[in-house]
Amino acid sequence: MNPSEQDLAYSREIRSNAEDVALIRRMCDADETALGALYDRWMRSLYSLVFHLLKDADEAEDVVEETFWQAWRKASSYEPSRGAVSTWLLTIGRRRALDRLRAKDRRREEPLTRGDSAVANLPASGQDPSLAAEGSERRMHVLAALRELPEEQREVLELGYFQGLSQTEIADVTGQPLGTVKTRMRLAMQKLREPLSMYRESTQ
Amino acid sequence: MKNLSHEEAFPELAAVALDATPPEFSAAVREHAAACPECGPALFAMEETVAQLGQLVPQQAMNPGHGAGIRSRLLMRARAEREAHSAAAPGPPDLARGVASLTGLGQKLTPGSQRAVDAEVKKILPPKPKFNLFSGVGLLALAASVAFIVTAVQLARVTSQRNAMLAERAPLPDTSRRADTARPPASEKDALVAAMAGPDVKIVPLVTKSAIRMGRMFWNRASNDWTMVVYTMPPPKPGMTYQVWLVTDRAKISAGTFQPDSSGHAFMQAKYALDRNALRAVAVTEEPVGGMPSPTGLVVVSGSGAP
Repeated sequence: MNPSEQDLAYSREIRSNAEDVALIRRMCDADETALGALYDRWMRSLYSLVFHLLKDADEAEDVVEETFWQAWRKASSYEPSRGAVSTWLLTIGRRRALDRLRAKDRRREEPLTRGDSAVANLPASGQDPSLAAEGSERRMHVLAALRELPEEQREVLELGYFQGLSQTEIADVTGQPLGTVKTRMRLAMQKLREPLSMYRESTQ
Repeated sequence: MKNLSHEEAFPELAAVALDATPPEFSAAVREHAAACPECGPALFAMEETVAQLGQLVPQQAMNPGHGAGIRSRLLMRARAEREAHSAAAPGPPDLARGVASLTGLGQKLTPGSQRAVDAEVKKILPPKPKFNLFSGVGLLALAASVAFIVTAVQLARVTSQRNAMLAERAPLPDTSRRADTARPPASEKDALVAAMAGPDVKIVPLVTKSAIRMGRMFWNRASNDWTMVVYTMPPPKPGMTYQVWLVTDRAKISAGTFQPDSSGHAFMQAKYALDRNALRAVAVTEEPVGGMPSPTGLVVVSGSGAP
């Protein structure tokens, strides 16, 4: 991505989040049409994320509904300085999905495995039509940043985020000491922060 | 769990941001971060970074019917909650907001499109005098208490009648054969004529946003009969139906649901007493099968009720 494309992506991110923030403000004023608009904008991303974690369409739909209802009820608690609206929504949804996963303790029934790498399975930019669609710049940017990480750091991040494993579980799966897992996780996060900071700054 | 020191909390921020620590421990770290000028911003930044990973999940489409159902339930719950709150503190209705919802612009309403909503309001609603305060509970009660008698009859029974009665200009399907076998009895015919003709009948043309005429609503203000005829409606999406709304300053009143036949024709009758100057618009939206207590979907056709 050359600088001008990145500038454009940044500009779009700012506009998009500004629209989301305006919807949240209207939700604070009890305007339910804003909730509908927010749902239309983010339902698919949220559903994709929770479905990826839960592997169950019915449960994923439940989580989507719970998440948007929580967003409606807690709209006034959203703070723009803490991140984009999409981040807020995805964080709520992911936590709810993880709560369900952990409550059922499904992973006891299925032995923990490293699984497939989410990043390795994603096509390179330009090969996937969905990546060429409008709004895909962020996805391409995130993917590029993740691919820059050393493999062992990327692995702990993927196991934690995409499979919802705890640090202890990641240590079991990878056969690494817990302290090593913590260190890798922290280093991975530090390295990702810089290239992805534009999305954080765009909310401020 | 005990209060964590900075030295204990800081190395755990990444794991907490990933939700990769036990809930009690995460809560302790968050409690520390909330008061720590170094950990707080660092944790927010990491959470934001973590959230970007969600962009990489393969996009998965939800069952469209389920997605529409969830949306409808959310809006119904939100509306009910708002109305419950407004009962405690009644205030004037936000007409622009209501019409934004009704016109479907509310689905994608952004600050930039507010002007479009305003324009839509002006287009649909004529300039009007002040309206009385009307609480949300009142709206709900009004909607709930509407004594509609909705009768859907087969199109074939109506189109021939409509021709004879009103010289309707729309092209009609070949209904003569069906009309022969499904002709309404004389008393019903007379009732239809009375409902759709006479000095007190107001005719509201129903058009699409592109101004394509799709049908008409006949409002007999003397007998409170509402008779709607549409000619070329596309079939609604699976799991959805069309719902008719009478829009006043105070409420959007459901007049029932309908499904067009294979030719896109439909006919519907309802009885509802409305002040003869109260109607602002008639609108048809697409809603989940069974209908909704208030409009949530896009407006397919509408017509101005201006005097």
